[in-house]
Amino acid sequence: MSGGARARAACAAILLLAAAAPAGAEKPPAPTARPPALQALPPQARVDTALAELGRQLFFEPRLSGDGSRSCASCHEPARGFADGQPLSRGYNGSEYFRNAPGLLSVRLKTRLTWDGRLDGADLATAVRDMVTEAHFMNADARLVQERVRQIPALMQAWQRAAGDASEPYAPRLFTAIAEYLRTLDAPDTPVDRHLRGERVALPPALREGLALFHGKAGCARCHHGPLGSDGRAHRLGVPASPAIAGDALRMITLLRHHATMGVPGYMDEREDLGAFVVSKVDADRGRFVTPSLRILTHTAPYLHDGSLATLEEVLDFHLRGGGAAGELAPVALEARERAALLALLRALSPPLPAHPESVPQDYAVLPRGRR
Amino acid sequence: MRARVAAAVGVALLGFGAARAQVPAAPPGTLPPVVAPADNPGSAAKVELGRLLFWDPRLSGNGSTACASCHLPALGMGERSTVSRGYPGTIHWRNSQTIWNAAHYERLFWDGAVGSLEAQAQSAATGAVAGNGNPAMMEMRLRFVPEYVRRFRAVFGTEWPRLTHAWQAIAAFERTLVSDPARVPFDRWVAGDRDALSPAAQRGWALFSGKAGCIRCHEGPLFADQRFHALGVPRLPQADAHVLLQVTARWQNLQRGVSREQYASGDDDLGLEYLTRDARDRGKFRTPSLRELRHTAPYMHNGAFATLREVVDFFDRGGGDAAAKPAWLQPLGLSDDDKRDLVAFLESLSMDELPAMPAPELPPTRPLPVAGARDGR
Repeated sequence: MSGGARARAACAAILLLAAAAPAGAEKPPAPTARPPALQALPPQARVDTALAELGRQLFFEPRLSGDGSRSCASCHEPARGFADGQPLSRGYNGSEYFRNAPGLLSVRLKTRLTWDGRLDGADLATAVRDMVTEAHFMNADARLVQERVRQIPALMQAWQRAAGDASEPYAPRLFTAIAEYLRTLDAPDTPVDRHLRGERVALPPALREGLALFHGKAGCARCHHGPLGSDGRAHRLGVPASPAIAGDALRMITLLRHHATMGVPGYMDEREDLGAFVVSKVDADRGRFVTPSLRILTHTAPYLHDGSLATLEEVLDFHLRGGGAAGELAPVALEARERAALLALLRALSPPLPAHPESVPQDYAVLPRGRR
Repeated sequence: MRARVAAAVGVALLGFGAARAQVPAAPPGTLPPVVAPADNPGSAAKVELGRLLFWDPRLSGNGSTACASCHLPALGMGERSTVSRGYPGTIHWRNSQTIWNAAHYERLFWDGAVGSLEAQAQSAATGAVAGNGNPAMMEMRLRFVPEYVRRFRAVFGTEWPRLTHAWQAIAAFERTLVSDPARVPFDRWVAGDRDALSPAAQRGWALFSGKAGCIRCHEGPLFADQRFHALGVPRLPQADAHVLLQVTARWQNLQRGVSREQYASGDDDLGLEYLTRDARDRGKFRTPSLRELRHTAPYMHNGAFATLREVVDFFDRGGGDAAAKPAWLQPLGLSDDDKRDLVAFLESLSMDELPAMPAPELPPTRPLPVAGARDGR
């Protein structure tokens, strides 16, 4: 590509990204903006508690999947910060997924959802519908799900408490209920948050140094800012292509089918995860993935979009090395004490998880003829 | 009143070849050769590919349910259950029909929802209570089976397997599943082997084509008129106590867009009305072929009858209750001997033994090479 063509492509990329918003590190910061910084968690969301309770029961309900075997919680386990602990998530039966399942605590604060940013964080209900109906996640027919719910008395009681006695369940509202439940899932508040709010907190010196490094010399805050420690944008770290995908036909099938359904040109030859490119179709977005949250990291190992790094130490060292080939990161030289301070900060953002009571699926019931 | 009904029936039957029931019919001949559609001519390689795909559960949502899961060779290419087992986590709502001689049907499915075997295969593989397969996922699975890549390329000339071609190959295979007249007693009898039919079966044929009037609808070499009739087949006894059947029936009504009242009030299978939106077609189902009945119990669209004798008894009673039931479906007054003879005749329309169809060994799924993906494979 000539220099002019490259510049034009970059302009086109920025224009596209301004509209579609899933990616791009190039967007110049607004001149008046303060330097990006980690922020404290906001107050709890106002939720419809009856709707959220319905959503909680649905979240643990395997009859929301095509063959009745997989619930949301199958890949988003409360005890694992609503991740699954696997490098690559399982996906639907007969399939294997090609990415790591992200945790869901404070998911309501994300601006983009999924590693390639194809879903809008402001529209959790649509993301839920995508997960329930998507072939490689739960592969369910939404209307069949709706008719199943009608014959599960416990869910119908929860539905009527949320929607009124005369109301009949319909799929979009069921997805909205799960979204409402997700909006109740907050990452636990930490001393770091209280410090960031300006409260008087006796923060250990290591954490104070960690925060200073995070916003200064180590440069983490450039991408890891806001209350989640995520800019919601896609970046290329240069993570090498995952051998766990290349060697697994079922994962490659799911990956290439994803490329096909997202309209990637020449998708049969695109055998590595294209990341945000599938949304923007801009070459600069190849291999870019949305910055993950830094909340509750110790509960959601392994890390990165392909789960290829098992520990926080490995992830930090990968970043400090400047990432992999063709990545956007520059190497950062830290002393051992400084590295330990950054790790202490990450761990401080991972307090013990609050209890999230699971819902036990209840039996179907026969409906009297004529009362459907 | 009676005259008006008779006139109406007469008009209704004009298109049916109604007179046939009263005139002693010549025995139908054997089935004519199957005609493949112009856009899907058969070939040995296509049929063999279709045979593999027919048994391949990768053509379903979770890799569990092949065509052969509900169309089992040992069960006459159908199932033994009333309604089909359906996709895991669901149950189907209708009886799994035999594939034998399905190539001769003008419309497929009990309500005639589709007009080709190709469309039937696609519909069954993707339906939420049948195969529940996602088209793009199934297609990509085929592309990761090197032997399929070779076979599709040889048969269809494409670089990668296409799902549309999979349905074509399956249909081509299904067009080979036609009764062999040399194995069918009735066909041998028609061809001149006077010993091929027992005296009882011969008496049954006379009843079938005469007094009992079966041939009115079960006509021609297929013993089916390709039309739709409301017989008033009873609901399954378990229909009101089977949760999954209730879920499926309501879902079917919902997705087929019936009236709000119909959806809310019950779960009856409306049959042809789903397609015509005409209440006069309520409960009409396509006449099934009578060939291979001996191997394809149970019977009727919901599998309500376990034996041929039950079916004969049902028609002897003049069928069941249905608003659209034709006036000519009247009690027959058959004797016990008549019924035995009819059953003997019906059984003579089946091959003595079904040919063995062992499940093929399916070709394995393999990863595609990553390095050099653009430089050739």
